[in-house]
Amino acid sequence: MAERFDTPMNHAMGTGLGQMSRRSLMRAAAGLTLSCLPGHAFAGVPRRGGTLASALWPEPPMLVAALTSQDQTLMLSTKLLEGLVSYGYDKVPQPRLATSWETSPDGLSIQLSLRRGVKWHDGEDFTSADVAFTIMQILKKYHPLGRVIFSRVNEVATPDSHSVVLRLAQPSPMIMTSLGGFISPILPKHLYESGDPLRNPANAAPIGTGPFRFKEWRRGSAIIFERNPSYWDEGKPHLDRLVYRLLGDGATRSAALEAGEVLIAGPNPVPFSELERFRNNPQFAVERRGEELLMHMQALQINLRHPELSKPQLRQAIYHAIDRNALIRAVWYGAAQVSDSPIPLQAGDMHADDLPSYPYDPARAQALLDSAGLPAASDGTRLRLRLDWVPSGQEALLTAQFIRQSLRRIGIDIEVRSFDLATYIRQIYNDYDFDLNVMTYFPTVDPSVGVQRFYWSKAASKGTPFVNASGFSAPEVDRLLEQASTENDPARRRDLVHQFQRNVMTSLPILPLVDLDYVSIVSQRVHGVMLRPEGIRDNFADVWIDQ
Amino acid sequence: MCGLFSRFCHKRSAVFGLALLLLISALAILAPVLYPVEPGEMIAPPLLWPGESAAFPLGSDQLGRDMAAGLAHGARSALLIGMVSSAAAISIGVAIGAFCGYCAGSMLESALMRVVELFQTMPQFILALVVISLFSPSFLVTIVAIATVSWPPIARLVRAEVLSLRQLDFVKAAIGMGMRDPLIVLVEILPNCLAPIVVTSSLVVASAILTESGLSFLGLGDPNLVTWGSMIGLGRSNLRSAWYLVAEPGAALLLTVLSLNLVTEGLNDALNVRLTTRMQG
Repeated sequence: MAERFDTPMNHAMGTGLGQMSRRSLMRAAAGLTLSCLPGHAFAGVPRRGGTLASALWPEPPMLVAALTSQDQTLMLSTKLLEGLVSYGYDKVPQPRLATSWETSPDGLSIQLSLRRGVKWHDGEDFTSADVAFTIMQILKKYHPLGRVIFSRVNEVATPDSHSVVLRLAQPSPMIMTSLGGFISPILPKHLYESGDPLRNPANAAPIGTGPFRFKEWRRGSAIIFERNPSYWDEGKPHLDRLVYRLLGDGATRSAALEAGEVLIAGPNPVPFSELERFRNNPQFAVERRGEELLMHMQALQINLRHPELSKPQLRQAIYHAIDRNALIRAVWYGAAQVSDSPIPLQAGDMHADDLPSYPYDPARAQALLDSAGLPAASDGTRLRLRLDWVPSGQEALLTAQFIRQSLRRIGIDIEVRSFDLATYIRQIYNDYDFDLNVMTYFPTVDPSVGVQRFYWSKAASKGTPFVNASGFSAPEVDRLLEQASTENDPARRRDLVHQFQRNVMTSLPILPLVDLDYVSIVSQRVHGVMLRPEGIRDNFADVWIDQ
Repeated sequence: MCGLFSRFCHKRSAVFGLALLLLISALAILAPVLYPVEPGEMIAPPLLWPGESAAFPLGSDQLGRDMAAGLAHGARSALLIGMVSSAAAISIGVAIGAFCGYCAGSMLESALMRVVELFQTMPQFILALVVISLFSPSFLVTIVAIATVSWPPIARLVRAEVLSLRQLDFVKAAIGMGMRDPLIVLVEILPNCLAPIVVTSSLVVASAILTESGLSFLGLGDPNLVTWGSMIGLGRSNLRSAWYLVAEPGAALLLTVLSLNLVTEGLNDALNVRLTTRMQG
């Protein structure tokens, strides 16, 4: 399923931040006991040494996730560079480079204490200056989502060398949910303070604080990291080396896994049609865990500027005409659920329950088209629309073909268009020259970061990919989203998000199609991968392999 | 003409090739009659194996599209794209080749030949990819891309032929009689290099079909059109669980290209009279 063009985010919404820091200490204690236990299942004591080979595709443009949200970049970046916190399966932050944190009662400042004795791979000390520099000069300016996450940070004060205070213009609950290593890695100030960060040579050979050090990048062949012997978490990592082999073809990855040449691969490393074979193979675990912080959805984005598509009956008709259960069987081989909201079912209580539903009902669709004033011509055609699909893999094309056939049955003639990624982005997000668009996105557990961008009228910005391109603008939706993004009270925030879902599932500027289960395939010899919801994007300090 | 056909028929493989080609052409022409439902229509249960259901003798793909309908309509698009793009390539190639051969030595001729060489230094398929990515994939763009990469070898061939024919006495006679140059090329020279052009043309059609399949395989064909290449491309991920998704369009492609090659060989022998008589003699 190839690359994603979208961005991940960590999250722990719904917990008061003051409370969070107390709970996080408990987590830390729990983490200590856990780390003495085996990572995976109930296997024995972690074994030191060994090389873990993984499959990687496509080749990432750089290895620093502070400047891009490309999935392969962040999968590699997290082994070398760390974030201030990590997250548990309950989405509550756990200490990493920061050891404790506290949000002021008014929500306008967040104080973090940093871990002492941490060194960069080049021997320099890690200090509060690195954190302040990374947030203000790198993440807030260059990261595709960091601009949103840190938009309300006015300054980062450094009272001493191991504490920082984020001063905010408004409360911003999304910050504490977004400090993980794969969205907000901390960079060394001494290497990035001069020159253009995007052209920094360290982007291809990072210096971090993480459990692994950069060793070698053989272009087109492999990327190799080695153990960081002076990692702050003593005794870790367990592995000597990480080798990421570039394997561009799904059938090749499947063969490499079965031959034991790579022990771990994801997300969606093999063709969906082959998943069943791996599920039945006792040597592998097909893991659905490890995607909880991102989650994945497939949706049909609609251009409301089109005179006919601006009619709600037509959008409802399109929704009723697509048999999404059949889509799940035919395209996703069962690895998906029918979705009824822009926020996936996996998001737990953020997902609203009482939403309008649009079951597969072609007769209803026909009736809606009649009421929309779109009568069938003599050949049965009511109107012609264009359908685009994100060039991220075969599944998107198959979905487009599936929708084409579904809509033809109710008299909507569809022309499927294929573009390369650059043209696709220009066509949809710059020229707004499209009718229907099959897209996939990370909703993330924080709707203010992952979902708001597709519905908020102010997120629409010509040329910015993966935001509101529908031309959708509803003052009520804007109000709900804006309030939710500054509401520190979890219950009130949840209410706002529920109201938002009810609203957009009635107005339907976007048709959510399915919630996708992304999977990783992990050999049973590998342990400690799924300890946290970062999964294959975690730092791998706890990962070990048995003989 | 009759002589040509009987010489052609002397070679059994050529007759077999021609029969195969006619069969595929008939399938292509009759596709809308045999399979009136659009080939993209999801009318069968998905992933039906060949022979599993009498209604869908060749099985169905992952979306439940009838493979037989796909193959028949695929024949239509393969032959159509192959012939139209080859016709365009041959017209361009013959025109430029004839000019360059007849006016060898002129400034324009050497400029044109440098262009031909430029085209020939680039791998054809990569060049076609470039042309497609300049526009968005569609039926017309595919034809343009294939024609763009296929004309240079024809131009070179025709130029060489014209160059040698130009020296012959009957051309000199025509010049002496005061015939105008375009007329000489059209009436005197080109008919005499028809044999190599015809032979090359059928090869060009075969390679155009292969190029189109390669492009569709990579997802750069017209997404609204069912082609053998796109069927192979989409079936590829199921190779280990449902290999017939790839094998059926693959076999269709193989047979089509094979038939074209056999016909080419037969034509080559039939048009080359001396070779034929020697073989008989």
